[in-house]
Amino acid sequence: MFTNKYLLFLYFMLAVSVGYLITAVGLGDPFAENGLTPSFFPILVGAAAIVFSSILIVEQLRAAPEREIGANSSNEPGGYTHLWVTVAIFIYIALFRTAGYFLSSWLFVLALILLFSSLEKLLQKAVISAAIVGLAYLMFQQLFGVRLPTIWG
Amino acid sequence: MDFILQVFGSFSLLLDPVNFIYVVLGFFIGTIFAAIPGLTATLAMALLLPLTYSLSVETALMACASIYMAGMCGGSITATTINIPGAPSSMMTALDGYPMQQQGKGAQALGHAAIGSMFGGAVGALLLIALAPFVAELSLLVKTTGKFSLLAFAIVVVVIAQRGRVAKAGLSACIGLMLATIGLDAMEPITRFTYGYSNLTAGLALMPVIIGTFAIAEILTQANSSRDISVATQEAGKTKLRRRDFLPPLADIRKIGFGCYFKSCLIGYFVGTLPGAGGSMGAFLAYTETVRTSSEPETFGKGNPKGIAASESANNAVCGGAMVPMLTFGIPGDPITAIVLGVLVINGIQPGPQLMTDQAGLIAPMLASLLFSAVVLIPLTLWLIGPYCIKIVSIRKDVLYAVIALLAVVGSFVATYSTFQMFLALGMGVLAFYLRRFGFPVITMLLGYILGPNLEEFLRRSLALSNGDPTTFFTNPDSLFFVVLTVVFFYFLVIRKPAKMPGSASS
Repeated sequence: MFTNKYLLFLYFMLAVSVGYLITAVGLGDPFAENGLTPSFFPILVGAAAIVFSSILIVEQLRAAPEREIGANSSNEPGGYTHLWVTVAIFIYIALFRTAGYFLSSWLFVLALILLFSSLEKLLQKAVISAAIVGLAYLMFQQLFGVRLPTIWG
Repeated sequence: MDFILQVFGSFSLLLDPVNFIYVVLGFFIGTIFAAIPGLTATLAMALLLPLTYSLSVETALMACASIYMAGMCGGSITATTINIPGAPSSMMTALDGYPMQQQGKGAQALGHAAIGSMFGGAVGALLLIALAPFVAELSLLVKTTGKFSLLAFAIVVVVIAQRGRVAKAGLSACIGLMLATIGLDAMEPITRFTYGYSNLTAGLALMPVIIGTFAIAEILTQANSSRDISVATQEAGKTKLRRRDFLPPLADIRKIGFGCYFKSCLIGYFVGTLPGAGGSMGAFLAYTETVRTSSEPETFGKGNPKGIAASESANNAVCGGAMVPMLTFGIPGDPITAIVLGVLVINGIQPGPQLMTDQAGLIAPMLASLLFSAVVLIPLTLWLIGPYCIKIVSIRKDVLYAVIALLAVVGSFVATYSTFQMFLALGMGVLAFYLRRFGFPVITMLLGYILGPNLEEFLRRSLALSNGDPTTFFTNPDSLFFVVLTVVFFYFLVIRKPAKMPGSASS
């Protein structure tokens, strides 16, 4: 399972590197009179990234059978909480301006506390979340003079 | 000499209550973050980076210095009490610290760690104060071609230093260099890799990159981790730590000897000057050197205080060493100095040889704070929070991670008041999370991102000055020096493979 995800990641990095190199080549000729153009360095970096990705893919394909055995015991990730945390952060940022700091932050902090613990003592966690959001507001807005978006403007 | 006097004169700034509070608070936060397994002082610094906007540069740099020093010694608390190093630099401390804890000498082990850290931090800071001006003067001799070779040397060394995962480090550095090329070209008025998106025209800002790479990635890593340290903390919590037990017997300190402390400090300091080596490498080399030269090597790993003294002296001396390339050439030695560099850049200060001469007034207070943290705050913190350190470690993780996530996401909004920066921080966090998960060193990506613009600019300028002749990198003495140095490092780190550091493959 780990090997497949790792290989997928490497294929993704290879695809990004190839896309980067194609864009770099599209910037124009890498050499000009007595010097280099803006495309030279990206072409060099893109080519190096492709080489490194390819080496890692070949290494991984060669070592795949042994890795699969080891992966089951030591590298098994702890569920999908990280994906939910990513989704929570994404929604929080999307709501940050429209819903304002207080509501979006309270929901975000409560969601993270629940993701890192359980659904028990919901009221207590809601109160803790409100306290955290209030303290962070005081720190950012009052102490450090940062303007945070609020519904009342 | 002027600079040295300026540093010692800067101690008066600590009398300002605002500076003093930030330095002490920074040290306290750094200690707590370093003590909690999974969290690091780097994370603490990344979270506090947005706040530097509202502080004066001197205060921000002084707070950074105290967090850095705290980060190197705080990890020894959990390394000793529950055998889980709070920070990678305390990995070697656990080898002898935990056996001492099992023998009922946990408080003494923490005392030895504090003395080693205090000595290492002080020697590292003093060497930095004494040598940095000379290194800065020498660095004035390095011209455009030499600067390119130096930056290339830094990137090559940080890649090949990742033994066992050089290809991963190479790809990671390439990702950083790719990120650095986004936006306006440094020499010609054209945009690259923006794909028509105007938010990318100015390139990727440093703040969301740092917050994403260290803070958001850390939250995702913790969410993905199944490690539970509650059993270990409960076990250690049964042992009561009393303040009077922290002071180790004088006979033990004499047995360790000044030579062991000082040699470890020198090893740590010089390891610190190498890009990407960091505290864990310094501690490892000092520990192995101490075991190698000891008359009773069989006692190490079974609770020998000399092992704790060596590793803690070395990892704290790294703080001083890592500042040298950052201040004189703008090359960060580790993630923390990369963030300190970020503080300088955010405030419009360009690190380099001129920094030590033209703007010494900004740098001197930071070095004074580094020395103050080592000599005063390390023993003071142990005395104040030592008996309660297990309680700190067993703090509610759900609340802690929620606070960190909130500070990280809102912190990335502070720089430009733009939600784009927040999305960028999330994107960098997800990328850094997967890089870490699959064993890619994130520091090489960050170094590529930070050094990339200058690397490209100096390459193009060098070739423009030499009419496109690439032999210019071998005919200019300053450049040739760094080319030879790169070859020497390549020989010692790749061809003549040294001993492998425990855990290096997994961390």
